[in-house]
Amino acid sequence: MAHRHEEELARELMRRGLSRREVLKIGMRLGLGATSLGALLAACGQAPAAPSADQPAAAPTAAPAAQPEPTAASIFDASVGASGPWPSSGVAEPGSPVEISVAHAWDATFFERQKQFDQLFMERHPNIIVKAENTPWGEFRQKYVAQAAGGALPDLLYVQFAWAQELIKNGLFIALDDYIAREADFNIDDFTPASLVSYQRDGKLWGIPYDEGPGNLYYNKDLFDAAGIGYPDDSWDLERLKAVAIQLTQGEGPNKIFGLAELPSPGDTLMAPPYLFPFGAEYLTEPKEDFVRINEPAAVAAMEWWQELRDRGAVPSPADLQNVAWPAFQFGKIAMTMQGGGAPPPIRAGSNFNWDIAKWPKGPQAHKTFSAGSAYMITRDSKNPDAAWIYLNEYISTAGQAYMWGSTGRGSPSRLSAWPSYINSPFAPPGATLVEEAMRTTASHEIIDQPTGPQVTQAAGPIWDLVVAGELDVKSALDQIFAAVDPIVAQNRT
Amino acid sequence: MAVQQQIDQVGAVPLGKPKLGKRARREELEFYLFISLWVIGFLAFDAGPIVASLLISFTNWTALSPPEFVAMANYQRMIGDPLFYTALRNSIYFGVGSVGLGLIVSFLLALLLNQNVFGMSVFRTIFYLPSVVSGIAVAILWIMILHQDFGLINSVLSWFGIQGPGWLVQPAWAMPALILMSLWGAGGSMVIYLAGLQSVPQHLYEAAAIDGAGTWQKFWTVTIPMMSPVIFYNLIVGFIASIQGFVLVLIMTNGGPANATLVYGLYLYRLAFQFFQMGYASALAWVLLMVIMLITATQFYFARYWVYYEGDLRK
Repeated sequence: MAHRHEEELARELMRRGLSRREVLKIGMRLGLGATSLGALLAACGQAPAAPSADQPAAAPTAAPAAQPEPTAASIFDASVGASGPWPSSGVAEPGSPVEISVAHAWDATFFERQKQFDQLFMERHPNIIVKAENTPWGEFRQKYVAQAAGGALPDLLYVQFAWAQELIKNGLFIALDDYIAREADFNIDDFTPASLVSYQRDGKLWGIPYDEGPGNLYYNKDLFDAAGIGYPDDSWDLERLKAVAIQLTQGEGPNKIFGLAELPSPGDTLMAPPYLFPFGAEYLTEPKEDFVRINEPAAVAAMEWWQELRDRGAVPSPADLQNVAWPAFQFGKIAMTMQGGGAPPPIRAGSNFNWDIAKWPKGPQAHKTFSAGSAYMITRDSKNPDAAWIYLNEYISTAGQAYMWGSTGRGSPSRLSAWPSYINSPFAPPGATLVEEAMRTTASHEIIDQPTGPQVTQAAGPIWDLVVAGELDVKSALDQIFAAVDPIVAQNRT
Repeated sequence: MAVQQQIDQVGAVPLGKPKLGKRARREELEFYLFISLWVIGFLAFDAGPIVASLLISFTNWTALSPPEFVAMANYQRMIGDPLFYTALRNSIYFGVGSVGLGLIVSFLLALLLNQNVFGMSVFRTIFYLPSVVSGIAVAILWIMILHQDFGLINSVLSWFGIQGPGWLVQPAWAMPALILMSLWGAGGSMVIYLAGLQSVPQHLYEAAAIDGAGTWQKFWTVTIPMMSPVIFYNLIVGFIASIQGFVLVLIMTNGGPANATLVYGLYLYRLAFQFFQMGYASALAWVLLMVIMLITATQFYFARYWVYYEGDLRK
């Protein structure tokens, strides 16, 4: 019986498309037997990897009760949204058949939707053959950097915000401004301002974002109900968040319920807007990320304020994380968590309790949260850039975003005009309107996205580990982080 | 001239390559045939990248843009890079700890399994089995064994009133935990020791017994000297493997907490495939090769004082 349960858990983890390493950690925390995990990990060689915490979108892996009829291969109906209206491009159609390759990082379920889009596109453009490549997210960057070194990039490439500036700086893409200028109906103002930031450099636009989502507060309604606490709403501030997180923390050991899932870490590229800006503090100076502000008094005070939640045991410690089944929110072990706009599909798929979304609460100085997303870019190696543009123009058009990310509930379209399709989607979360509202009001893209970003977070993270382990105080750690990060960001001062 | 005449008179064969018989020539051919697969594979797949990495180490290549020659800049950068020293120190710490402990444990296991007891082959199989379990499964198992609250080790310690540490989550204990975990693969070395023990000539023990040697004296004067080449082999191979390894570290701790387990291979991997600093990563790789060669040469130097090869004359 127990073995059957393990197999069921193993299948569930695979269905979510997690990487081998993530499966290993989760499996261990779930207490899976070696036999089940061995078989599971072997099978995971074929499974796509899950998005990281930074990745803005995750695919829907299961549908709610009121879902549309699935087609043979996809849980989504291919005909919904297929009629457009599709934009007419100012770029001429190829006179003879050409092939374009497009590199995606979807999970297996969502890749079926991708195939549906590509099929419809090829029916509209008989001379453009689309060859879609799908690579697990965890392996994507390494694979395509290797291809870039060999001069063999696909025509169109998925690019996450955190990599974009580094890749643009190294000349991997062609600027899209000339193509945009040839499109009479391309309204750049339709894109949320935050969504374009990571793909602009030297006064040019190098990629078109398909999504950009804010960080919101996801909460377990059942835990709130059991404690008799009212749900988070617009009246909440961060003091209220802290008080409720402490109040909802209950129990011991593997059954412990934590009030909040995570705390700020200088090893996180998205830390500043939700955790520091509300207190009038900064991590690095934006947008150039050329000076470190993390050890200034306001930042030290803010990080110490958050640290109290750790001291009170309201967030999992590293040892707790080895007990708690991850992702803990989906398993009902966490009352509240800060997640991006793409979190609802996996939460919906994995949870058997009532949950909802609220805006990230306001702080004493400001009301802010992060926003992040991804884009597609035409590569320098493209043999058919015109055809690639025709594809991209439709892919990120209002109709394209509605077809791919709105109607499927995947969420957070980069175009304002595509938001209604998301809000009205049967796959969207209950509080989908709040996501759009946060995007319009509190979301900030002042996150770490310069080429120096990975070095900054990898220099700061290990120092912060000492604070988490209780071996260093916040102020000393932030001073050390300043000393470690300042030489790195100094190269952004030129 | 006189010497040459003497040689000619006795009909001695001139010095040089001995003339091989048909059977020996066939054996020589087979030798080249067998090693040819490795040689071809090395030339086709390894030699090019090895030479390329040496050239890349003198450039600032990022894999994304054309390389620029920077002379010794990457090697000079190492001097001021604190993580280089951290990673090197951690790797040597892990290498010395895991090889030292592994050598003792696997040798003792081999001695135990060299006894003439009924069903010994079953015991040998059981002790060897862990060595063939995949690395991922080993990592799962050891994360459980080392768990701060529910792990086997801390549970056993609690029987004696000792509160065990957070093995993988406290900086001071993370590396000892990984060293402890490395014992899991002791079965591989154990088999080599076992083969060595079984080839120690029995007449040496009989001669020692006639001279009045007890068990302990036989162990020190016969077993250890006769096994010294095997111990030396395991020492060399084990140290090279442990100083290069990083996969289990990547899975279990990813270099944390606080860089306490940031080993050299992991640091090199991060620089190459996360930061795309291929030039610096290549320089690190070549310095690692130099470090390994230096340590290996040192081991060979000191081997003359304790390694005994059958037929050698002790000075």
